[in-house]
Amino acid sequence: MLSIRDLHARIGERKILKGLNLEVGAGEVHAIMGPNGSGKSTLASVLAGREGYEVTNGRVEYLGQDLLAMEPEERARAGVFLAFQYPVEIPGVNNAYLLKAALNAVRRPRGLPELDAFEFLALVREKMKLMQMDESFLNRGVNEGFSGGEKKRNEILQMALLEPRLAVLDETDSGLDIDALRVVAAGVTSLRAPDRAIVLVTHYQRLLDYIEPDFVHVLSDGQILKSGDRTLALELEKRGYDWVRQEAKVA
Amino acid sequence: MNAVVAEPVAHYRAAFESLRGGAGDTGAQRAAAFERFAALGFPPPREEAWKYTSLRRLESRRFPAAGAGGATPALSGPLAGHRLAIVNGRRREDLSTPGAWPQGLRARGLAEAQGDGESLAALLRVARGGGTERFAALNAALCPDVVLLDIAAGATPEPLELLLATTPDDPGMSHPRIVIRAAAGSHARIVIRHCGDDVERLVNSVVDVELGPDATLHVYRLLDTGERAFHIERIDATVGQRGTFVLHDAQLGAGLARLDLNARLAAPQASAELTGLFLADGSRHLDTHVLVDHLAVGTRSLQDYRGIAAGRGRAVFNGKAVVHEGAQKSQARQSSRNLLLTPGAEIDTKPELEIYADDVQCSHGATTGQLDPVALFYLRSRGLSENEARSALTRAFAGAVMSRMDHAPFAAQVRDMLDTRLARLLEAQP
Repeated sequence: MLSIRDLHARIGERKILKGLNLEVGAGEVHAIMGPNGSGKSTLASVLAGREGYEVTNGRVEYLGQDLLAMEPEERARAGVFLAFQYPVEIPGVNNAYLLKAALNAVRRPRGLPELDAFEFLALVREKMKLMQMDESFLNRGVNEGFSGGEKKRNEILQMALLEPRLAVLDETDSGLDIDALRVVAAGVTSLRAPDRAIVLVTHYQRLLDYIEPDFVHVLSDGQILKSGDRTLALELEKRGYDWVRQEAKVA
Repeated sequence: MNAVVAEPVAHYRAAFESLRGGAGDTGAQRAAAFERFAALGFPPPREEAWKYTSLRRLESRRFPAAGAGGATPALSGPLAGHRLAIVNGRRREDLSTPGAWPQGLRARGLAEAQGDGESLAALLRVARGGGTERFAALNAALCPDVVLLDIAAGATPEPLELLLATTPDDPGMSHPRIVIRAAAGSHARIVIRHCGDDVERLVNSVVDVELGPDATLHVYRLLDTGERAFHIERIDATVGQRGTFVLHDAQLGAGLARLDLNARLAAPQASAELTGLFLADGSRHLDTHVLVDHLAVGTRSLQDYRGIAAGRGRAVFNGKAVVHEGAQKSQARQSSRNLLLTPGAEIDTKPELEIYADDVQCSHGATTGQLDPVALFYLRSRGLSENEARSALTRAFAGAVMSRMDHAPFAAQVRDMLDTRLARLLEAQP
């Protein structure tokens, strides 16, 4: 589904990704772990098409298409979803408006009819229940005055509603208390499906207690140094990241 | 005085002289008003009140006085249950709502009011000071009629729309004049809507407002005239004890527009809320000068304007609050926020406070910026096109003042027009 080959990216003069390779297949959950500054968030941003990141080399193929040539909205409509680490507050843009506009934007290319107000509300209510969110959130500005945990829930709510093919979650667990973490993890787990891939970018293995990944990758200094299964995450938790770096140097 | 300045005054003098014979009521009052205009002339270069707005183009034009006849303008539906239509400054009963008139509201023309013993000096009063005194004086000299609205004490009349239109395809000048007197304890809503086709002309309008004790008046102003039109307007409101004057302003039109909005909080606990938005797209130039004078104890004012400019559009906002000596316990708040949608657009904003009392609460703030790129990316990452995202953020920006527009037909009209204009200008972008 997603194939990243020799990806190099920089912000201004600062090189951040330095030859990253990653293959993600349909139905798989991948965790990308790494210390601060290793390039985790840059990877998520490049996949979503954020401005300010310059790809200097490499390719990203998504369902056979050149992902990097697509505008951010084209990626979204093709089924790519990024759950932001820091969801922005947009006062004056109604949350319900955004959810409905986004939903219809991804339904159109799938050949699905636009939902009317009644169908939309029924669907969004069901998803809000899953995320344990009060309906009053619908009539507020996007993320306006939301707590950190509420913002993250709102991200997963959007994801549950939009049903992406590829979901990239950028540090969705950061800043969450244990209850919020459980709700968010349950929301993500409910979206596991044979035709959907999920990439979890995270600093801690805590989230992986709730969402069991099929693969774990260690990202350090812009490259994936080591890949393994879920036990790798547990080992990282115990031993930190240094031994992976040492191992890579020796190799 | 040099020739460039003297010449346009001569043109207006000729217009004044020709009216003089026919009108009959043009007494010393009108002559004095005209001489005031002649003495002030057009603003010389570098006059502070016209720092960002040049009237050279207007000065070079020789608009004839718009007549009483001519074709009938095409009008869209009224924004209130009752419409009083004014074309070229004259009442047009045939375009107004027939039948029952809002209870507690009385409308009279100049002749009738004079016949009833109303003082001509009050009806043709020239408000002093500011950059538009000259035009207010010109209006007093040339206005073909006065629309005098009296809201009876304690009355709460149904909302009224004053529709100010011009004869289509007629490149004349008109000088509409409205006097509103809200008596003690009354509560009223009046829409003042300027419309006109895309013809180069001058509308020089005066609105004189007086609120008695405990009176509340909401004025909903919509400026929607053609991109080649000149529009100058002066609104002076004097607010009595515990009275509240509220202006909801939506400036979407004229090619070159200037509004001077002056509120005098003349008695204790008087208040004014002056909020609005302007959209300067295309080659429009919209200039707004607000002045609030706090003259008594416990007076309160709010100025909250939001501006949007795009294309070669340019806008000016100058907001000033003066808390005079003795106006203790007063509150003055000012906010001017501005959004530039394209690199060629410009908005100059200047909030000013002058405080001569020591026990007051005052705040002001002004910002000018562009759409937040982080928010734009967020919306696009959810599948909204760049235009949809820009439009949503721009509407959100305007929404903060639009949410105060508590007269539904007016709010809906402004929202529709804004949406249409935003869609058009976003499509036009590369």
